[in-house]
Amino acid sequence: MIRKRIVKDKLAHGVMLAMTLLSIVFVVVMAVGLYVKSAPVLENRSLWSLISSSQWKPMKGEFGFLPFIVGSLWVTFLAILISFPISLLTAVYLTEYARPVVRKFVFPALDILAALPSVIYGVWGMLVIVPWISDKVARHFVDFSSGYTVLAAGIVLGVMVIPLLVSLFIEVFSSVPAELREASLSLGATRWQTAKKVVLRKTLAGMLAATVLAISRAMGETIAVLMVCGCVIGIPSNILEPCYPIPALIANNYGEMLSMPLYESALMFAALILFVVVLVFNLLSRIILYRIERSEA
Amino acid sequence: MAIEIQNLNVHIKDNHILKNINLTLPEKQITCIIGPSGCGKSTLLRTLNRLIDSTEGVRLEGKVLVDGADIIGSGAEITELRRRIGLVSQRPCPLPMSIFDNVAYGCRINKMYKRHKALIYAVQKNLKAVGLWEEVRGRVRTPAARLSIGQQQRLCLARSLAVEPQYILADEATSALDPISSKTVEDLFVSLKNDYTIIMVTHTLRQALRIADNVVFMYLGEIVESGPAEQVFHNPQQELTQKYLSGAFS
Repeated sequence: MIRKRIVKDKLAHGVMLAMTLLSIVFVVVMAVGLYVKSAPVLENRSLWSLISSSQWKPMKGEFGFLPFIVGSLWVTFLAILISFPISLLTAVYLTEYARPVVRKFVFPALDILAALPSVIYGVWGMLVIVPWISDKVARHFVDFSSGYTVLAAGIVLGVMVIPLLVSLFIEVFSSVPAELREASLSLGATRWQTAKKVVLRKTLAGMLAATVLAISRAMGETIAVLMVCGCVIGIPSNILEPCYPIPALIANNYGEMLSMPLYESALMFAALILFVVVLVFNLLSRIILYRIERSEA
Repeated sequence: MAIEIQNLNVHIKDNHILKNINLTLPEKQITCIIGPSGCGKSTLLRTLNRLIDSTEGVRLEGKVLVDGADIIGSGAEITELRRRIGLVSQRPCPLPMSIFDNVAYGCRINKMYKRHKALIYAVQKNLKAVGLWEEVRGRVRTPAARLSIGQQQRLCLARSLAVEPQYILADEATSALDPISSKTVEDLFVSLKNDYTIIMVTHTLRQALRIADNVVFMYLGEIVESGPAEQVFHNPQQELTQKYLSGAFS
């Protein structure tokens, strides 16, 4: 009987280890696959010329990814700029101030928002945000704007990221022991002082990890952004110009590239850029997390 | 008299936790609250500084007069009340900052000092008061989490003292400590009673016997007996108290 239990335990251990390795293997396989597929374009052009050139003429074999990289960074930056303060204050309110009955209603609402398909956000962006920018916002700054802009993509993406970021922040703030809050309150601190000086400080590392996760998610979002960004190749000089982020480039063109040499490879290289950027963000956040944890321990 | 509790009833959701508590806590003495687990000792303590407010579904009835002012009513200024009633909890809970900033935290929150030098002096004074200064001088800017558990508990006491409270609530403040640290903290409480009114919840009868001036024995949310320590320990009036002190239940 005891032997049977031990065998089962070892078996469970083995299966779980295999599953863990499998999920890591997926990532490695994906990276290798993308690299192999991008190899032809990398053999023809130098890496520097691919990422620093703005010339995008697939018919002539010119692949400059700078407009797409800049477009992705602009939209992601704007989305985080919009979603970070909203999500942070929402999560602080829900964990530090809200009565349980409020949480009971807001949590499911956030789950619904998080579960909405991105195409719905895209449609909302096209019907509400794009006309609003075109009619109300842009005319104060430029002569004409279609509304399909970096700003529209940033707003739609920012709103999309909010439920994810709020959930992550709530999880992070909930990890702070109640005793720590009480230690601050018992010294005469208000709840806001406690949130600001104790909860946010204690969870700095967790907040950073959550934000990087949200950045990674925003960076890779395709459909909703594609629907409102304008998809015009060029480096936007301000947020009221259209842009063309990397995921939109891949999604819009993947079906058409077979007739042109190197096009498939170029699009795979675009995916590789996305992969590397997200990887670098995550690695950087790990390093910062490690430093924060070491300085606090 | 410093704190006077009149007909206090505490309900949490459908549970009647504290039942008709009437008690006077004398000034500048140590009052130990004893009783078996779940009898409402900690609830009573958390009612005195209104930390009980953060418990879901809590309802308070009756009066708790601190220096004559009722703290139960909606008009009570809770943050000022908490500054005046310090708390040392069961497990040491240093804030996520340096040793210096931990002690300075309450002073900064309450804007007690305009000059930084005065703040430094206050931090030093309170670290000395808990016997920690010699152990940490030269590393007050390092994270408080690096201190030993016993040192952390003394730091928490220094942090409470730094906001110049009149009362100190201690919720089993030595139960997580090793015997030596426990003795140090216990001695500290005794030395502090000349300046502060100390109300201490303890599970250890021997500790109450050593340091209490007054003892309150609680059972199932009610006060069974209270009075001078000498009387409660050596001549208890209630049978339940006698049984508890003799170890018939704990």
